[in-house]
Formats: sequence, C-alpha cells, structure tokens
Amino acid sequence: MTNVAKSIGGKQILCNINLEIFPGEFFCIAGPSGSGKTSLLRLLNGLESFDIGDIYYKGQSIQNSDIQKLREEVGMVFQNPAIFAETVKENLIIRKQWDKLFFVDENDLFEILEMVELPQHLLALDARSLSGGEKQRLALARTLLNKPSVLLLDEPTANLDPRLGDQILNTINQLRHQMNVTIIMVSHHIHQASKYATKAAFLIEGTITETGPISILTNPVTEAANLFLKEED
Amino acid sequence: MEQSFYIISWTDVFVSLVLVALCLFLIKWWRIGLEKTILIGTIRSFIQLSIMGYVLTFFFGLDHWIFMVCLIIIMILIASFEANRRLDVPIKGYFMMNVFSMSITVFIVLGTILQFILDLKPWFYPYAMIPIAGMIIGNGLNSSTLTTNRFIGELAHREDEIDTLLSLGASPRAAVDTSIREAIRAALIPNINGLMLVGLVQLPGVMTGQIIAGVDPLIAVRYQIMIMYMWLTTATLANVLIQGMVYKHFFTSKMQLRKELFRVNNL
Repeated sequence: MTNVAKSIGGKQILCNINLEIFPGEFFCIAGPSGSGKTSLLRLLNGLESFDIGDIYYKGQSIQNSDIQKLREEVGMVFQNPAIFAETVKENLIIRKQWDKLFFVDENDLFEILEMVELPQHLLALDARSLSGGEKQRLALARTLLNKPSVLLLDEPTANLDPRLGDQILNTINQLRHQMNVTIIMVSHHIHQASKYATKAAFLIEGTITETGPISILTNPVTEAANLFLKEED
Repeated sequence: MEQSFYIISWTDVFVSLVLVALCLFLIKWWRIGLEKTILIGTIRSFIQLSIMGYVLTFFFGLDHWIFMVCLIIIMILIASFEANRRLDVPIKGYFMMNVFSMSITVFIVLGTILQFILDLKPWFYPYAMIPIAGMIIGNGLNSSTLTTNRFIGELAHREDEIDTLLSLGASPRAAVDTSIREAIRAALIPNINGLMLVGLVQLPGVMTGQIIAGVDPLIAVRYQIMIMYMWLTTATLANVLIQGMVYKHFFTSKMQLRKELFRVNNL
C-alpha cells in the first residue's frame, strides 16, 4: 500500500497508509476500535475504494485487476460473518449460486472441515444453529474453499472467549503453513495476536504509527501505541 | 327482464358525496387526522376522472390507431413520473427505467389480448384498448413501486450478506439475488391472493361494473378471468424488467455496494 488515504462523508478514515506485506507472513494490524482497521481490510478486498495512493497485489495495482478474481484470491472473513439460512454444507458451497462450474469434491470439503476443526456431522444442520466459534470457523472454511493466497481476518476472536479465540488463531496459523496463505489480521487483542503473528503494525486514528517485528506489539516505540496498550490493559 | 342498467346522472354522483361525508364525520370523531387528505383525494378523483371521461370521449372519436398509441404513451409517461415520486429513496434514471419496462409490458400483454384474445376489428378498438392499457399500466406501476421500495429495504436488511457474497467473488447480480427474489415475491402475493380468493369473498371491480351495466354474468366472468391473468403477468413482467435495471444503481463500477444510497432515510 503506498500513500493510501480514504475519507467517508468528509471524515478522514485512513491517512497516508504505507505498508508492505510479504507472502507467507502473519501480519497483525492492531489498534483501538474506530481506528480504521476494518476499512483498511475492505480496501484490500476491493469492497471499498480509496481516494488517493495505490494498492499493489503481486506487483499489479488492484485498480486494474479483475475485481471478482481479486476477491477470490484475497479472501476476507468478517467480524460478524453473514451466515445464510441454509445448511452448513450449502453455506460452504454458496459459490455454486453464481458459479455453475464450481465443484467441491466431498474429500476436499472434509479436508477443509478438518483444517478448521469443524466436525463433519454439522454439515446437514441449519447453519444458524451453530455457536459463535463454529460460525467463525464456517466462515473461514467458506473463504478457504476459494483457495485464496491472502486471508483478511477482521477481529476473528472478538466475539469469542479467550480459550476459543486462542483455538481459532492456532487453527489460522496452521492453515498459513498448510495452505501457504498470507494472513492479514486486524485485532485489538494484542496479547493473543502476539502469540501467532510474525509482523505487526499499529493503526491509530487512521494512521500507521509504527510497523515492524512482532515485538512491537508488546514494546511499541510511539507514544500513541503505548497509550493504546495502556488503555487495553 | 326490461332495462337492466341505470344511467347515473351528475346529481346522483353528488348524492354519493353523502357517503364521503359519513366517512369524514367518523374520521373527525375518532380524531384519525386524515380530513384534509380525504377532501383533497375526493376532489382530485372527481376532477381527474371527469377530465379523463372527456379525454377518452375525444380520443375515441378520433378513431385512428396513432391517437390511441399516443394516449398510451402519455399514460406511461404519467405513470412513470408518479412511480419516481413514490420511491423511498431517489434512484437515478428510475423514470426512464419505468418508461422502458412499462412499454415492453404493455406491448406484450396488450398485444396478446388485442391480437389473440379479443380479436377486435379494428385492432385498436378504443373502447377496449384504452381501458385495458390503463389497467396494465396502473397495475404495473403499483406493483413495481412496491417491489422497488421493498428491494431497497432488503438491501438495508441484508447489507452484511451482500458484502459477504461480494467478498467471496460474487457478481452484484448474484449478491442481490435473494433481495430481488424476496421483493418480487412480496409484490406478487396480493395478485396471487387475488387469484385464490376471487369470487369467494367479493366480486371484482370489472365484473361488478359489467354486471351493473347489464352484461350477462357468465360473460362478465370470462372478462374477469382474463383480467386476473393479465394482472398477474403484468406485475411479473414489470417487476422482472425493472429490478433487472434497478439493482445496478446500488453498485459502483468496481462492484461495491453503495450503502450511502439506502442509508439516507435510516431504513
């Protein structure tokens, strides 16, 4: 991302964002609520446009890429994922609704379920009956079926208790190795994120205040990041 | 039977105002607060229908297809203007979308009726063509406005679902598929209910009018059946055509949902 800025209704949401994320990284963007973290992920998935600057994916500006293909390759899992009023299986293969050629082999489906640690017997259940953690895993599996290279995760542990949150992050970290995906996660659960992430950045009031190795999550240099950590504690 | 229908005079029409007076009395007594609207509605319907009577008499006297087609075009333009006015949130180009969808609908439905069902001579026989066109346009307008407003509500309600589908690589059309289907279903339900209940609960307007005017009920029934089928087709056709255009308004060229457009009224 080079010099990316975005405003909504005259309010500056993101300002002069410069970030470089490499393949295979588990990149954590930390910051308080309302600092623009979700907006940043939405820009990367192409769900929103930026005003100035540019975002490059595999060396090409995303403004010139096929947006549907980009969204498949740079998959996103929302904080509150939409679960459709259908069975778990139908939620997983929802892409069939618009892509008639989309086919998932039963073994591939079971494999994905195993990766996200979702039991097979849930497939026939109404997806709305799942618990919060199971819904998060279902959304993760649904995105993974697109075989993305990059996975954008918006506060994946926000609605889960610390133990479940840890389990989800552990699963995600394993997926990173198994499927060779790059993870970009936004979170304000610093301690949890610091166990798994490989690199990090602080996004505070729409600005990246610092970026670097994972150690910055616990020992930031800037005053703004220190203040945020103090408020979190 | 002798004389089977009665020619209603203007005096009779004025006497019917007694019923409106009764309605106004009840509204005022119960403090429902619609007196002014009812008065305006009463006067407007009186003036509009009286003018329409003269316009129809004038056009029927011209007896040439070009005048009938012109009148239908004017009716479509007025209906499209009204449809635009009734929207919960403004949609750019909605007027033209309506003109387009209503023109196609009128062409198909009216054409089928005039050519293959009524088999009139001449084909533009004004006494059939204009009232039927009026019913098609009026019904199509009501139904498509209902559908569009419902669709806007569905967008607000399903915002997260639409974003999720888009994020997975769905096209805008695929992302709003459920919203479109729900909106059209909701708009068609009154028509379908009408088909189910017709004749059981009430006699519909066209049939009642024909019977009052002295037509054999068995013939009036046939007309009514045709008109019920016509209404259903009109509503379906108009809705499918207009929703096929409306949804595009809510997406950018980059396939992003334009939330600001339906959040205006805090739906």
